[in-house]
Amino acid sequence: MTATVEPSEFKFVSFDADLIASIADGLVDVLGIDRPVHVIVDEATPLARTRTEIGDTITIRVESGAFEDARQPRHQSELSTAATLARALLRARDRISGGFGEAPADDDLDLRQIAAWEVYCVGRMERLGVPVNPQRWKYNFRNRHGFNDIADAAFERIWAADGLSWGELEAVSTAGATA
Amino acid sequence: MADPFKPRAPFAPWDRRQLPGMFDVEETARRVGNYKWAEMKLFEALGGWIATVPELDVKMRLGTHCYHHAWHAELWHKRLPELREMNPDRLTLPANDAMVEFVAALTEPEAPETTIEKLVGVYRVFIPHFISAYTFHMNNTSEITDAPTIRTLKLALQDEFDDWRDGEMMLQSLIETPEEVDRAAAHHAKLEKLMLAAGGIAGPGSIGNLPAVKGN
Amino acid sequence: MRKFFPVDSLARDSRFNQITMSQSQADPRSPLMAADTDKRPKANRLQPSRPDASDAARSLMHGIFVGEIQALEGAGRTCHDFETGTEAPFALKLDMARQAWDEARHVEISVKLSEWMGSEIGQYAENTVLFEAACSTDPVLRLAGVNRALEGLAIDVFTTMKEFGGIAGDPYLEFCEDWMLADEVTHVKMGSDWLRRITENDPDRRKKALEFQSVVDKIFSFGGTRSDSQESPIGLARRFRELAGFTDAEVEDIADVSLRALEERKEFTRQAQADAVEQFAAS
Repeated sequence: MTATVEPSEFKFVSFDADLIASIADGLVDVLGIDRPVHVIVDEATPLARTRTEIGDTITIRVESGAFEDARQPRHQSELSTAATLARALLRARDRISGGFGEAPADDDLDLRQIAAWEVYCVGRMERLGVPVNPQRWKYNFRNRHGFNDIADAAFERIWAADGLSWGELEAVSTAGATA
Repeated sequence: MADPFKPRAPFAPWDRRQLPGMFDVEETARRVGNYKWAEMKLFEALGGWIATVPELDVKMRLGTHCYHHAWHAELWHKRLPELREMNPDRLTLPANDAMVEFVAALTEPEAPETTIEKLVGVYRVFIPHFISAYTFHMNNTSEITDAPTIRTLKLALQDEFDDWRDGEMMLQSLIETPEEVDRAAAHHAKLEKLMLAAGGIAGPGSIGNLPAVKGN
Repeated sequence: MRKFFPVDSLARDSRFNQITMSQSQADPRSPLMAADTDKRPKANRLQPSRPDASDAARSLMHGIFVGEIQALEGAGRTCHDFETGTEAPFALKLDMARQAWDEARHVEISVKLSEWMGSEIGQYAENTVLFEAACSTDPVLRLAGVNRALEGLAIDVFTTMKEFGGIAGDPYLEFCEDWMLADEVTHVKMGSDWLRRITENDPDRRKKALEFQSVVDKIFSFGGTRSDSQESPIGLARRFRELAGFTDAEVEDIADVSLRALEERKEFTRQAQADAVEQFAAS
């Protein structure tokens, strides 16, 4: 399966659609994704939001800031591209592979739930060899769960976890936000 | 409790301060004017260099030290009217032309590759000479009549020692090769010779004139 | 060492990548044009409720960090660039040296906060606009640019960040921003006082300085980054500006200038995107 990218050429940013596709292909292999992937980049905004739709194809809608090299505005960062796609695909795989049936739709996740799921994804990404800065994700987790030891313990648990179900992830996250 | 009305000696037994001092009011004012001029040149150089050094830790230290020396200049500025100089600018002078030459050479390096030279000039030449001139003054002025100058000298010396240590440590961490040792030494020698010609921060006699001793 | 240091020579280590204001402004994209959705309303004000709040705060903190470096450099240059007495009063230069120390501490604080938030030095581009706009060869204009416009912007930014830290319950962020805010109010007040004193008998020079400040204030609104509108990430800190000596009329002027900058940026973005599409079609 070969990932497809839209648009194929960019007007506002210096991004390379082939590079995005090849990074997506690599991740599809590593993560064992069972269906085609289509990436749509909104190059009109420098924000960095992503949305994933799962059907016969996994469609990932990305705002251009998510693939951007923050040191060189409007230029692509391979690392950011890989990290963004890996998070989106890991979330998609969680939903596809079972155990996440009760998880709300992306638009219905609250900010605490999003933060917890991100940590679960990024912890696994690090173990796959994708370079990440754990402190970045801890900071986001703390913003959504609290700046205290209980929240930090929940972060560590989720970061180190594999094979969680949505219920288990939600339970740790909820407990981490109680202080 | 002791009788509060019992006469006591005005100088307690542990207070050994002496009245005589080496400097009269005029000489003190002259030196203080030289100190102010030199501290001003130093804080201006440190401020100007902040933008020219790429090393982030050095950049921040220069900003901090810039204020220390500005504050010393301010203290000396305030001391001058107390020494009968009602127009402080009149005595805010370099000790001599050689001192002007020294400052010109000190502030010559600008390129981002010359942090070693900048720091050598400040921390291995200029500040050590402040320390010696201030120490000499503190140890030789009247401990009673000139107490305000001594207080300022002590405050300034505390900063000078702390800043010298910071600067020397930055230098030791920047000098990584024998060639850089040579660069530092060459610049040090160049500036030290100019300072020698100036005779120190306050000119000849900055640290006194050692009396000649007859040999055997 | 020369007098008046050019912005393109600001010394940095290899981690930094500097861009100019014109490079930054040439970007046809703008968060102001992001699509509105039911779930994600288009409010760009930096608040924890923003879905991307943590990343936006990290990016702003890096902006603060490099801004503090440039403020440090600007204050230091004022100590060096002007002859004492003939070009700038001795006491003004002492104030600038004091400011250099304060800005050096702010750089230290920003580095520590950036680590706390998970950023690395040089992770984001450094826009050199602050130094660029603030380093006039006239000391009065420089005070207007640095102490009133730049430091005024810092008051707005720190107030926004302090509130962010308070709402998020981040003890370090709120604590540090509060301290930095206290310093910045002092710096603005310093600039206001000096501007008044130096131009006391020179109304033309004062007028010129205030006009220059207005131009810099508009530049520092960064095309709508700072204004009263919720579309701007950074708000206008009216109370702290008042404490710093801005009159109500001056605050209103800055508010107007900032809103104009916001609208101009939106118009520019629309036009730039249309142009890019046209060029792309033609090629």
